[in-house]
Amino acid sequence: MRTLSLYQEGDSIIHKIDPITKIIFVLITILIPIIMGTLNSAFAFLIISLTLVIIAGVIKKVLPIVGFTSIILVTVIIIQGLYYFNNRTPFFAIGTVVFYKEGLLYALEIILRIYSIINSVSLLMFTTKPSDLVEALVKKGLSPRIGYVFSSVLQIIPQMMSTVDTIIDAQRSRGMEVEGSFSRRIRAFIPLIGPAVISSLIDTKERAMALEVRAFNSRYKKTFLNEGTTFKYADVMQVSLISILIISIVLRFVH
Amino acid sequence: MFFMKIITVEHLKYKYPLSDKLALDDISFEIEQGEFIGIIGQNGAGKSTLCQALVGLVPNFYKGSYGGTVLVNGINVSKTEVSEVASHVGLVFQNPFNQITGSKLTVYEEVAFGLENLGLPVEEMKRRIDNVLNLLGLYEFRDKNPFDLSGGQMQRLAIAGIIAMQPEVIVLDEPTSQLDPQGSEEVFRVVQRLSEQGMTIVMAEHKMEKIAAYSDRVMLLHDGKLIDFDIPKKVFSREDIEEYGVITPVYTRICKNLDIKDENGFYPITIDEAHERLEKIL
Amino acid sequence: MGKRSMWSFKFTTASLVLIPTAVGINYIGKFFASLLKLPLWLDSIGTMLSSMMAGPIVGAISGAINNIIYGLTADPISLVYAITSVAIGLTVGILAYIGWFKSWSMAVVSGLVVGLIAAIVSTPLNVIFWGGQTGNIWGDSVFAFLSAREIPIWIASFADEIIVDVPDKIATVLISYGIYKGLPRQLTSIYRNDDEIKEL
Repeated sequence: MRTLSLYQEGDSIIHKIDPITKIIFVLITILIPIIMGTLNSAFAFLIISLTLVIIAGVIKKVLPIVGFTSIILVTVIIIQGLYYFNNRTPFFAIGTVVFYKEGLLYALEIILRIYSIINSVSLLMFTTKPSDLVEALVKKGLSPRIGYVFSSVLQIIPQMMSTVDTIIDAQRSRGMEVEGSFSRRIRAFIPLIGPAVISSLIDTKERAMALEVRAFNSRYKKTFLNEGTTFKYADVMQVSLISILIISIVLRFVH
Repeated sequence: MFFMKIITVEHLKYKYPLSDKLALDDISFEIEQGEFIGIIGQNGAGKSTLCQALVGLVPNFYKGSYGGTVLVNGINVSKTEVSEVASHVGLVFQNPFNQITGSKLTVYEEVAFGLENLGLPVEEMKRRIDNVLNLLGLYEFRDKNPFDLSGGQMQRLAIAGIIAMQPEVIVLDEPTSQLDPQGSEEVFRVVQRLSEQGMTIVMAEHKMEKIAAYSDRVMLLHDGKLIDFDIPKKVFSREDIEEYGVITPVYTRICKNLDIKDENGFYPITIDEAHERLEKIL
Repeated sequence: MGKRSMWSFKFTTASLVLIPTAVGINYIGKFFASLLKLPLWLDSIGTMLSSMMAGPIVGAISGAINNIIYGLTADPISLVYAITSVAIGLTVGILAYIGWFKSWSMAVVSGLVVGLIAAIVSTPLNVIFWGGQTGNIWGDSVFAFLSAREIPIWIASFADEIIVDVPDKIATVLISYGIYKGLPRQLTSIYRNDDEIKEL
């Protein structure tokens, strides 16, 4: 079975928390550090989300994503350390190249924010079954039709990608080269992507009709085969998270 | 009940948007409950268009220009929403792959898709799903991902998704054209079983041996027109049949070359009939 | 692309089903671009095609869902750039509606406009989340060069983004336009969803 989903089975407390609460948590870890604009808030959210990732037992899965981003973050440290517009206080120097304290602190804030977003989003994606996520959103009022788009995309993408290998083989057997000069490579792009794109677009017509004959446009109120589990503390947690967001906005404007 | 008309089509005409040619040209016919109807004709004859007109996708999905009426079980399909028509007549398409919704992770849930849309209570859904999975021989795969099935299994799953909605009629538009011989055989067996259970079946198909074996009557289409609608023997015995791009069953061709006809003057169309005729002669 | 108002759209099944396919096409484009080691992303071909076929709103939703899915399955930060993808989907849909995709030269101009708009939307996001960088080596070199000369961060970041976005979007628009031209009319006509059924 091929799906894009990164869901990891598990029975941690984080796995039991309902999807909506997790989505709100992701939103506030993105928003609050930006609203507050302080190093402390960014640091606090990183610690919180990192702790939750560890509790959920998915830290090993998160590390590759962190590693991938770190390459860019190194360039952030260099560029901000050297050229941040507020740079005044030299911090250290490598030969004649001077790194400034202000720029390095700014880079640190960026790093903390990026890492805390990665951790909180990871929490959502590694501990939530996609079908539960979509069903929870539909029950909260997301159109079931948009819900269908989300759940089908996770399976349709791998299905489409699986045709890619066939195309590469077919084009190679016709003597197309995927290596070589820039102009040769760019000319190879169209014959590679063209057939896959056109046939998948033509397929959408039959796919749409096949959904219609299964009452996709029905006016009846949709029912669900899976009842979905409920999480006892969902309301309390959601209200608290939203309160924290409101408090942070108020604090920001009071200052 | 015995001779109840389940489908009545009168002067059906249809033109796709941006086209100046009639895809269906003044077609009229009636189908009785429980009949097995084969639709034959070359590519572009209008087979798919007619199949889609029986469930209302023509005209409601494409728009375009439409005339005449299609009544299924008393419902005027062109004036009714496709989702509403779905409970009376189902349609199975060529490509099994495109009929998998993609939003469900198991065969069991996949069958539920249409039932959830109809708003059925969970117990009723489960009862129907168990029922159709058994009928179509898919029960053992109920926890598998639909995309992990073979072509024949996937097409049977598509049929299951339609049958679960309990339509009176099922229309199949070349359901085996994308399948290997084994997958085709699986699908034909299932269709035959549904027919034996009394379901009205309309099937467009290129495999003439199957049409000859299963159909009560055969509809011959050409250029959007209904050329003939009669028992298969009569249609396949037409002297001009090849002009319509139809290659008759191999037994019919052999008997035609040998000029072997039955007492009514028709060529045999199945191996059994051909065998019987030959024995009488020899 | 007929006379209908571009905003008057019904969520037909055909346009909904186009969305997952559009996202899949984005993925395929991105995959081949990296297979061929092209210095471009080419990851919005599907978004643009869906805009050309079904209008700005379907294009915008395809763009948003693309980034949400990519953000939830590969790179969390790309969630934030859903806003840019929405802008790309809207822009291409509007340009298609007002008839800018009539020739290859017009398509180049359209690509330039789409690239500029994408850069305008992305720049604040780059500044907020990355201190102005894009993560692209050429763009970031320009950013460093301009920052070293005390050019304001917004301008430096915008320059960084333009260098990355404009060539990519021109190439993507040209590829999408070429594919769109090759699609059968029987397919593209099903998205003209306000057409009435005529009596025969």
